[in-house]
Amino acid sequence: MNRTTVGLIGAGRIGRLHAENLARRIPEADLRAVASPHLDEVWAETLGIPVRSTEIDAVIDDPSIEAVVIATSSDLHVELIRRAAAAGKHIFCEKPVAFEPGPIEEILEITAKASLRLQVGYNRRFDPSLLKASEAIRSGEIGDIHTVRVTSRDPIPPDIDFVRRSGGLFFDFTVHDFDTVRFLSGAEIVELFAVGEVLVDPRIGAAGDIDTAVITLRLSNGALAVIDNSRHAVYGQDQRFEVFGSAGSIAVDNTRATFVTTSTTDGVVSEKLHGSFGDRYQEAFVAEMRGFLRSVREGGPVAVGAEDALAAVRAAHAARRSLAENRPIRLVEAVETVEAVGAGSSR
Amino acid sequence: MKTITTGILGAGRIGRLHGDNILRMNGVDLKAVADPYADFGSWPEAAVATGEDPDLVLGDDSIEAVLICSPTPTHADFIERAAAAGKHIFCEKPIDLEPDRIRRTLAAVDQAGVKLQVGFNRRFDPTFASVKQAVDDGKIGEIHLVKITSRDPEAPPADYVATSGGIFLDMTIHDFDMVRFLSGAEIVEVHAYGAVLIDPAIGTAGDVDTAVTTLRLSNGALAVIENSRQAVYGYDQRVEVFGSKGSAEAFNEVPAQVRLSTADGIRFEKPLYFFLERYQTSFVAELEAFFSCVRENRPPPVDGRDGLMSVVAGLAATRSRAVNRPVVVESPGETP
Repeated sequence: MNRTTVGLIGAGRIGRLHAENLARRIPEADLRAVASPHLDEVWAETLGIPVRSTEIDAVIDDPSIEAVVIATSSDLHVELIRRAAAAGKHIFCEKPVAFEPGPIEEILEITAKASLRLQVGYNRRFDPSLLKASEAIRSGEIGDIHTVRVTSRDPIPPDIDFVRRSGGLFFDFTVHDFDTVRFLSGAEIVELFAVGEVLVDPRIGAAGDIDTAVITLRLSNGALAVIDNSRHAVYGQDQRFEVFGSAGSIAVDNTRATFVTTSTTDGVVSEKLHGSFGDRYQEAFVAEMRGFLRSVREGGPVAVGAEDALAAVRAAHAARRSLAENRPIRLVEAVETVEAVGAGSSR
Repeated sequence: MKTITTGILGAGRIGRLHGDNILRMNGVDLKAVADPYADFGSWPEAAVATGEDPDLVLGDDSIEAVLICSPTPTHADFIERAAAAGKHIFCEKPIDLEPDRIRRTLAAVDQAGVKLQVGFNRRFDPTFASVKQAVDDGKIGEIHLVKITSRDPEAPPADYVATSGGIFLDMTIHDFDMVRFLSGAEIVEVHAYGAVLIDPAIGTAGDVDTAVTTLRLSNGALAVIENSRQAVYGYDQRVEVFGSKGSAEAFNEVPAQVRLSTADGIRFEKPLYFFLERYQTSFVAELEAFFSCVRENRPPPVDGRDGLMSVVAGLAATRSRAVNRPVVVESPGETP
């Protein structure tokens, strides 16, 4: 098989997850190099990555590397994409690519001009259940779409340092849900209304963010959607999706590590949900990388590109503004005046 | 046990349902049913006086408690007349569509010293009551989010919609009450999105058939209600309360707990068809609760204030959809 040489930039939680998939589960990838400021040498060596560096140039300047995976903190994404594109490398970048629409538009232009593939890490689009639901919706099994519903709750709140750097709940977390609403509905987000509170951890509020939110949305096909988020569901990673339409509904329920039910005098008990998104979306993380490498090899379009990142970030801006002003925001309106708005905060 | 003599005003679908339930109950006697428009035919199948004149019920001193099951515009007036006659009152929702009219009515009830229970039957559904119990027992900790899915199996005709007060006062009103019941908190702000996706005639009648309503509650929690007038697979009634220690969920009930697995897939029964099937138990339980409050002189579990607050929330949602802004819910004011 024609293997693609890959370099990884950033080896935090998500970077390590990609590295392990590339090294062990994706035979068509040749993970040549990893660069990260706080690199765990032992870990990288165990994976058999030949080039291990704390310098990003070790990946960018290596002409043998065809594709880079960018998994650094979000604030570095844009600059790294610029440099990787200038070096003629195909790019897989973690979401949200950037916090502002401007740089994403610029990146779209750069990668289009250079004929480079750029895929964004909206891994859910590769989840077998969501893929199947999306196909069934597209083939008309539930008729016209009336409502889309996303429940997305994390099992453990992030640490406060991460919250400060994350851009806030809507940019770090809900962006996935905005993308899922677009993916399942095949429609664009036109307007939204967001409410949010600090109910999990007051330190999240002190950092200027929220930890609980409900966002309702109007879509371009006339349908409505609702997303509910929490940073802390004690029973595990809660990921449920439902699309309701004129001919019925399609639901994607939670998955578990095992499927054991114990019935005793105390009741009927099954296992908690997965403890992390890495476990819940294990297959999706492998499939998204394989999809990316296929696009690189065959020159085909990517399944989820910078346009999708742009749409999700625009929605995040609208949500932040909706929360701040306590009114519905049209997406066009949010983007025009985005510079004037401060960071997300609770009322 | 002391027998309570009752009468019913209104012999439509819900009036007959209550009437039949009373006829099967111990310790309650159904003496008269009045409805100016009903063709009683062979109903009820018992020795009950029937006629057009409400005084058949309101003017009978032996009748201790009345059930008001007539059209909404007659509710407030009948409540006031029943209260003046010293009768305890069970009234179907909504009491009225005007908060001020409801307040006046509640003042009259208070002055007469009679009991008033409002027909939010879902509070008496064993499944939802069990969710409420889990919340009250602290099993899910502090409440963060209440989520309600409420979809009817079949859209009503557009002429019904035109006089219904709109989806938020006709349908979502039950869900507003369920949010208040499950959370034990008041609704303080409402935002509603609506769309006409099922029947254009509903839109022509000035209403919507699909809605998503966001609520802020007085305990700081959030809530969201999703409504549709037509779910082709049946009556879709689910609730979830999510909190700091977990979540409590109620799923749809089915006619038979059968799982049929074949080469085509794994198939379960559709939900029970509509509210008469799904909430059968709750209709009996709400009346039993009402009659025992009358018998034991206790306050009813769903009172006039509950009736008022759900209407106030429904009006806020109606307005929110019209102006596309969140609307602060009018405070209850002086209610008994």
